[in-house]
Amino acid sequence: MSLWRDIRGTILPFWVTLRYLFRRPVTVCYPERKQTPAPRYRGRLVLTRDPDGEERCVACHLCSAACPVDCISMQAAEREDGRRHAAWFRINFSRCIFCGLCTEACPTLALQMTSEYELASRELLQVIYEKDELLIDGCGKNDGYNFYRLAGIGVAAPRGSNPGETPPVDFRSNLP
Amino acid sequence: MPTLIIDNQTVTVPEGTNVLEAAKRLGIEIPHFCHHEALGSVGACRLCAVEFREGPVKGIQMSCMVPAKDGMVVDTGSAEVLAYRAQVIEWLMTNHPHDCPVCDEGGECQLQDMTVAGGHGIRRYTGPKRTYQNQNLGPFIAHEMNRCIQCYRCVRTYQDYCGGTDFGVLGSRQRLYFGRFSDGPLESPFAGNLIDVCPTGVLTDKTYRFKSRIWDLQEAPSICPHCSLGCAVTPGARYRQLQRRRARTNNRTNGHFICDRGRFGYGYANHPDRPRYPLLGHRRVTWQEALAALQNKLQELGELFGPGSIGLLTSSRATLETQFLTKRWAAALGSDQLCFEAHPGRDLGARVAASQRLDRTASLEDVRNCDLAVLIGADPLSEAPMLALALRQAARRGARIVVVDPRPVELPLAYERHAVSVEKLGQLLRGLSRPQQSEFPSSMEELGGSLASALLAAKSPLLIGGTDLLGPQGTEAMQQAAEACSQPETPCRTMFLLAGPNSFGGALLSAEGPCFSSLLEGMEQGRIKALLCFEADPLADYPDRKRSRAALARLDMLAVFDCAATATLQEADLFFPTTAVEESTGTLINNEGRMQAFEQVFSAGTPLAESAGGSHPPRFFSRDIPGSEPQSAWGILGALMGRSADLLTLRSEIEKNDHRFAGLSQLEARGEGRRIAAPRQYSLSHQPNISGIMGSDQLQLLVTETLYGSELLSNLSSCLHESTPSAFVMLHPQDAARFKLEEGKKVLLGTPVGDLTLTLRIAGDMVPGMAIVPRLRGTVLEPLVPGTEPLPCRIEKA
Repeated sequence: MSLWRDIRGTILPFWVTLRYLFRRPVTVCYPERKQTPAPRYRGRLVLTRDPDGEERCVACHLCSAACPVDCISMQAAEREDGRRHAAWFRINFSRCIFCGLCTEACPTLALQMTSEYELASRELLQVIYEKDELLIDGCGKNDGYNFYRLAGIGVAAPRGSNPGETPPVDFRSNLP
Repeated sequence: MPTLIIDNQTVTVPEGTNVLEAAKRLGIEIPHFCHHEALGSVGACRLCAVEFREGPVKGIQMSCMVPAKDGMVVDTGSAEVLAYRAQVIEWLMTNHPHDCPVCDEGGECQLQDMTVAGGHGIRRYTGPKRTYQNQNLGPFIAHEMNRCIQCYRCVRTYQDYCGGTDFGVLGSRQRLYFGRFSDGPLESPFAGNLIDVCPTGVLTDKTYRFKSRIWDLQEAPSICPHCSLGCAVTPGARYRQLQRRRARTNNRTNGHFICDRGRFGYGYANHPDRPRYPLLGHRRVTWQEALAALQNKLQELGELFGPGSIGLLTSSRATLETQFLTKRWAAALGSDQLCFEAHPGRDLGARVAASQRLDRTASLEDVRNCDLAVLIGADPLSEAPMLALALRQAARRGARIVVVDPRPVELPLAYERHAVSVEKLGQLLRGLSRPQQSEFPSSMEELGGSLASALLAAKSPLLIGGTDLLGPQGTEAMQQAAEACSQPETPCRTMFLLAGPNSFGGALLSAEGPCFSSLLEGMEQGRIKALLCFEADPLADYPDRKRSRAALARLDMLAVFDCAATATLQEADLFFPTTAVEESTGTLINNEGRMQAFEQVFSAGTPLAESAGGSHPPRFFSRDIPGSEPQSAWGILGALMGRSADLLTLRSEIEKNDHRFAGLSQLEARGEGRRIAAPRQYSLSHQPNISGIMGSDQLQLLVTETLYGSELLSNLSSCLHESTPSAFVMLHPQDAARFKLEEGKKVLLGTPVGDLTLTLRIAGDMVPGMAIVPRLRGTVLEPLVPGTEPLPCRIEKA
């Protein structure tokens, strides 16, 4: 029986190769032709804006804490209206392993992955992206979400006027 | 001593311990919010529920409210208990704003931890959330009431523990509000502790707002350098910037809390004017050039004028290691012109204080447990704020607190006040040192007699003195008084407030060495040609600035080693940058002789926020870190002496060299510190000198410390500037009427340093015939230094 198995094992690979000779190739002539990756492809990171057009990122440091290769750094600051934002935000794509943990950690859906994968460069500094290069003008994948309208601390709307909130209490009154 | 079983482990605890703390002894952490070791239990949060299976109580109970009893069998993790706690957490979260990403407590939030531990993820309750308006609570604390879980820790800390009256709980039912009646800065100098005790993000550090997350901070156990008490703190730094200080627990000293001067005085390490490079003249040079210039000059002077022409000065800010190596170096150079404090009065005062018997020296723990404390010439809130908090804890247990002082001393507790002039303080102490003979000065017999009998009758009496006001003689008199008022079973302890965090170390090392006055004489006569100042500022600290300026100007070389831009630095020929406390390791000895080691928190360097101009970090790579040149003073000294810069070797050498520092090399920064092995030997040879009687229209001018603005390092912290008072003078109403002056108006104060225009404050509970001014750096009052005899002055309308 082992002889039969050996013959089969010798012929079958040749048959497979022969079969593929008559099929269309799966490779494309990159870079002349480019493939469109799947929508959930883990490519370059972007910072998105909320439906009101404000920066979504509140510089909470969760992405940098989740990052296994420490490629994200930032500094938080406070805007005059009390909004927390990133004074600067830097992603070092020469370190990034595109694991997507940062986007999973992001509580405001600011950090999202795109299908852009053409990041290679001979110049190291060109793959270190600052906030102005990361920030895009749209909402990305979740166009309805606005963190400040759900977190009730009165930044996007006056205190007590977000959906599901009662007006601020009058603590000087003891009436029921 | 009840014995009980918790989670199948047997533990025996002292009577009165609650089950939560008994479990903690076994290493079992029962989740809780409202219980706090220093504040006790109230049973408000309902989270610490455990199941009692056997014993006097049965079923699910709050472990913080049940005292441990014999025969109890406790299960902290049964299915029923876990379900109960998960439900409690879910209730607590129904009104929470879910804003963790923008909350500064994130990462160090107990509510976050408990929510995750309780398994609560999705808010099932669909009703509306309650909201509040926030208040502006001043420059230190940010308020976000929506995050509150009503654990009452803040009120218990602020009102009960710290004695503040302007923050409390308002409202009713589920509208409880923790805040002030109206917006305004919190008045208590211990308000910063609210940041530490709040288990969520209602009260957070405004000076640290949005700067970092705890997991990004570099932290290490450290010691607060802003007064002589040596409170345990945990500073946090990021991107080469010291960003905050938190209280650390040391039950022998500060307990769980610290004062606002310590908490918000950290800014000196990041001060934009901090000199970070060696300077020769006013030109920036390399370390090699500067060290070579120093050694050449010293060699030249040594050959020309002998080793006695080199004077060395350290200060109470310098670590024990620096002080010891300075002494070593002076010996190596052959110079005996070595001094450990630029202020002669404070120097001698510390030497006397350090000669107190160690079993008669009180720690802050002893203060918290005393039943009678007599403060003579001590103003805790200004000179050592945490002492006021310790006294309050004693008073809460029923202790009697008596303040005898010429100043209007304020304490956050119920106390007796006796306004007594400076001269009479000394006489009172000398009377107390012979209690049987009752030799009190006239008009003080009643007070003196009652104090003497109270001190003799008390179980744990305590005498607390400020060396600034008492002076060396008064300090010695207080030691004698404590000795005389001691009974074999009830020794009368003493605590002296010293000038700086390591005054005690300098006093131990100074032996019979000269004080700075004799160094100044040497400079004036031209005997001393060079002065080396190790973290010392003789120009600002010597009481007579005119004299010290003239003497320093005569020097051939003034070399300054410091971490702050001091007045002396402006005159220096050679400057070497040293590290701040947080940037190096070392040992400080606090006012009770406790050696406390501290660790390095971060490496010195210009903060990124400053070097990058507020924008992103520079887009180039270099090995050089801007502003990273400061080195520890003891490291520089080691390099100058050509020895290895190893801290452990140095500490073992100090220990071997001087038996009083036994145990120094085993000292751990996380521990409680260690008392020195023996006090120094010292006795004053001077006779008490009491200043003469002033003319009737002359006032005595007394310079005192204040909470903010007097201490060098904390005054460099910009977050304290808003709370620092502007220059003022205080008068008794009688004197104000005599000179026809009105409160709040500008007055002209004629002092030995010139005529100063100040705002008048009137204080009814001070001694008449006296004008009190605070030491305020950076104002017209800067040349006036506390710790001297009262000066003559006159006052008139401006």
